[in-house]
Amino acid sequence: MHEMGIACSVIEAVQKEMERYPRKRVVKVGLRIGALAGVDAESLRFCFEAITKGSSPARRGLPLELDIELCASDELEMAHLELEDEEEAA
Amino acid sequence: MNRVAVEKRVLSENDRIAAGIRERLGGAGTLSLNFIGSPGAGKTALLEKTLERLSTEAAVAVLTGDIQTDSDARRLMRYGHPVKQITTAGACHLDARMVERHLEGWAAHLDLLLIENVGNLVCPTSYDLGEDAKIVVLSVTEGEEKPLKYPGIFRKAELMILNKIDLLPYVPFNRDVARENARRIHPEIQIIEASSTTGAGLDEWMGWLAARVCSKRVTAETKAEYASC
Repeated sequence: MHEMGIACSVIEAVQKEMERYPRKRVVKVGLRIGALAGVDAESLRFCFEAITKGSSPARRGLPLELDIELCASDELEMAHLELEDEEEAA
Repeated sequence: MNRVAVEKRVLSENDRIAAGIRERLGGAGTLSLNFIGSPGAGKTALLEKTLERLSTEAAVAVLTGDIQTDSDARRLMRYGHPVKQITTAGACHLDARMVERHLEGWAAHLDLLLIENVGNLVCPTSYDLGEDAKIVVLSVTEGEEKPLKYPGIFRKAELMILNKIDLLPYVPFNRDVARENARRIHPEIQIIEASSTTGAGLDEWMGWLAARVCSKRVTAETKAEYASC
């Protein structure tokens, strides 16, 4: 139900984390979704794509793919990021 | 391409703001409670009865969240305590930033902050608002399976208010099964049965509230004393 808000929070969290890697570009975000986190994986994926697949140049730095792992907690965590060099992207 | 480990909660920005609220309210000895329940569970009516029974001299404030309208705030304002409506304009939950923004301009000292979340048993569960406790309001018209269907909130809530018990004779709701289901999810959950219509259980609820307000104030005073030593 609130997956659009969660998708925005994922992107905010990624952007914050990426401040540590100035010459990198993020291509994949690894998320761990707990069974009791109240987040539906498919709905989150849908919302995430709706945000990131836009063609606006401002959106180019956003990750393209979600790598979702389900687990038995009540947490929603960003487990890892997959990065590439900006030159590789160009 | 390389992979870097992050291992952070996605809502860590919300958590950071919530921690700030918790510190600020904790320092002032303010007990903060986050009421979560389905639409129509009776959260607003319960808060009305609570405000009615609290002395107008007690420093109490209410934040009430809804997707649209300020009708809840107008209902709650009649009891002489400050009330602010948070209209989320579509969002199905309150987040810490909304609470932080609405706390601005209120007196530094409050004994009690009551936060009525948007009617929803799922999304509000994920967002820490800097509260001392979450309270889940479950009404007997909703069915006794709710704790099993929405385990997240029943696991996180310290207290379950089983509400509208005046309707028990008219609905096929088994209170023992409801209690058992809540305890299957959260064995330590406290349960108070109440009715805002008849007033049943409200003494017990007000007693719970008074004890928590008092212990919060004592904790804050003790901490302040230690700090000044």
